[in-house]
Amino acid sequence: MIHSLNPTMKAITVILPAILLSFSFDIITPAIMFIYILILTFFFSKLNIKKWLFYFIPMSFFALGLAWMTMLYTDDKYATGPIVFSFFSFDIRMGSIIVSMSLALRSLCFIGLSLLFAFTTDPTKFMLSLMQQVRLSPKLTYGILAGYRFVPTFKHELDLLKKAHRIRGLGRAKGWRNRVEHMRQYFIPLLAGAIRKAERVAIAMESKGFTGSKDRTYYTVMKIKATDYLFIIIMLIILIIAYYVSYRLGTLNIFGHRIMP
Amino acid sequence: MKNHQPIFELDSFSFSFDKHDEPSVNNVSCKLYAEEVTLLLGASGSGKSTLTLCLNGLYPEAIDGFTSGDLLYKGRNISSYPKGVINQEIGIVFQDPESQFCMVRVEDELAFVLENLSIPRCQMKQRIEHVLDIVGLSQYMKHNIHHLSGGQKQKVALASILLMDPQYLILDEPTANLDPISSLEFIETIIKIQKQQRFGLLVIEHEIDDWEPYAHRLVALNNKGELLLDSTPKEGFQNHLHKLTKNRIRVPKRYENRKMPIRPSSEKESTEVIVNLKDIQFNYKNKQILNELSFSIKKGDFCAIVGENGAGKSTLLQLIAKLIKPVSGSIDFLNTPLSNWHENELYKNMGYVFQNPEHQFINQTVYDEVCFGIKLRGYSRVETERMAHHLLTDFDLLSDKWKNPFSLSGGQKRKLSVATMLHSKPDLLLFDEPTFGQDAYTTSQFMRIVTHLNDKGVTIVFVTHDMDLVDSYCNNVLVMQQGKIVYDGTPKALWRKTELLEKARLRIPYRLRLINEEMTI
Repeated sequence: MIHSLNPTMKAITVILPAILLSFSFDIITPAIMFIYILILTFFFSKLNIKKWLFYFIPMSFFALGLAWMTMLYTDDKYATGPIVFSFFSFDIRMGSIIVSMSLALRSLCFIGLSLLFAFTTDPTKFMLSLMQQVRLSPKLTYGILAGYRFVPTFKHELDLLKKAHRIRGLGRAKGWRNRVEHMRQYFIPLLAGAIRKAERVAIAMESKGFTGSKDRTYYTVMKIKATDYLFIIIMLIILIIAYYVSYRLGTLNIFGHRIMP
Repeated sequence: MKNHQPIFELDSFSFSFDKHDEPSVNNVSCKLYAEEVTLLLGASGSGKSTLTLCLNGLYPEAIDGFTSGDLLYKGRNISSYPKGVINQEIGIVFQDPESQFCMVRVEDELAFVLENLSIPRCQMKQRIEHVLDIVGLSQYMKHNIHHLSGGQKQKVALASILLMDPQYLILDEPTANLDPISSLEFIETIIKIQKQQRFGLLVIEHEIDDWEPYAHRLVALNNKGELLLDSTPKEGFQNHLHKLTKNRIRVPKRYENRKMPIRPSSEKESTEVIVNLKDIQFNYKNKQILNELSFSIKKGDFCAIVGENGAGKSTLLQLIAKLIKPVSGSIDFLNTPLSNWHENELYKNMGYVFQNPEHQFINQTVYDEVCFGIKLRGYSRVETERMAHHLLTDFDLLSDKWKNPFSLSGGQKRKLSVATMLHSKPDLLLFDEPTFGQDAYTTSQFMRIVTHLNDKGVTIVFVTHDMDLVDSYCNNVLVMQQGKIVYDGTPKALWRKTELLEKARLRIPYRLRLINEEMTI
């Protein structure tokens, strides 16, 4: 299960194919990867599909929008082949469609990989792992964890602030200038509260004997297991297969260079 | 006990945040002993918290402050100890339960302390289980800290300090943000542990009635941070009462010679209804918060809403102010349904003071803050100036006119937040826990203002935990329990309903506790 993988290794497994995938400008390679990512998401992780869709759908709209724009304004280098259809004054060529669909699929891969990581990783464990595997400074990681705890409080505070301002007679902002002014009025109390809380937490942490030294024991030991390597290796094998299939089909395109078998 | 070696020895000790500033702790000489419970008293801003952070070794280092004189821990200058050593021997539990943790779960937070001490992993689990057992939170080991109640959070904070086996424990207003029963439970827990483990205890608290019986010594600071008193509690409270009260220090109620003033309930019992709620239901995230709530508040009432944390008090207040909408049911204000009120018109007639006054500030100066609402009501410039001047005089804020609202003291912020609601004479003022975490002086000043407004005919509704306030000011009290009103009537009649009070986790006011005590003796 993906939940139980080591977070640092998982992060590498997610970032590596994302980088390697960005060279392919064809459809087949990212499509194969995307299918693999979906299989991982739906069959190998215990995430809430409804919640996943809640994030995935709006983000994929963004990906499609990006692809649409690319299709209309394709670089001349890629806008080759026959004209497939015309849209207002735009002539859409086969090359543009392929490049933009490839971009859309790559974006979907990035989104899928990021969500897969975000939904299956406990932030506390991720930080612990960064400390134990990457030897990141405890000052930084515990700082991030302390900040993470404030996210719900922050939301609550903003909500109260909005209500308090409504009572004062500060209606909904109209126009740009008012909106900027509104932001300032929210920003100062939120910032004042945040600084105060940060100072308190820092003092509380120090008074619990925290010195920021790397010389510490760990209650939860994060280990790298064989499955972690297996996960990263399988991911890379699938990526190679994807490139190879595309190569055999004669569609492989790296940075606009067609590579034929 | 005095023949023991003192654990702390202060000799003309001073501390200031800046070289040119007046010192926050000023020329203090005293000795603190292990195995003693010491009360540290002083008004807000008297340097109590600063002093405790010096004792803990965090100041002056953490903020580059300046010290003079000597502060000895076990006979050695505190600055000569290596970093982190003092922190482990001197533990502090702080006031705000929300901001003393850095981990998500109880277990991890406690492990964090052990990791800091480089305790071998194999011992950790057993020590965590043991300390949770001591504070009575065994079943919460795997829980998320965020979901615990305030009282439970403070016990987690206490547990994490106990893991360090402290020689001396400092409690910096640990119960200020807790409801009365949780606060009592916390005090009982800590005293029990103190008796078993015999560490020294330094307690800072505004409400010291519950601590005082356990205290061996009393150290008081005046508002310049100088030592005012160092004696036994009995001697201090009996012989130096005047000295303490003059310095805005609240003394235990049993030493207070004046009785809390009981406001005569208004003779002119009004029958006119100002707010009427019918069959209100409110859900939040699919959870039922309020259920079939019906009641009315009469014009001129001084009404308190009480009940334990999470009973739905603030939600109720926000519903009345149209800040949130009920799922079903109707709310009438001045005989008109809330839905028919235009927002501007509504907030001309109704004010709402939030728990944190800072939330309400939107301007750069105190003066602009007061003018803002008046201008919004369309008064002329001359008129606005006249009214603002009047309000600032009334609230004793004239000398701070050009200050930034955020730079005011806690008490002044509270006053300003009330002043901003008085641009036009409101019929109803709602307060969400206005005296929470405030010292005695600020509370009494605030209550004077509110009483004055009530005398002028403004209906007051406030959420509170302070039963003494309810007892001495209110003519009506609503008790909430799990989203329901379980009592609606006079405070006097409420104090007789022992069973109901216990269920709603309320304590009877001090005045009656005293009578009960005398009866049992």
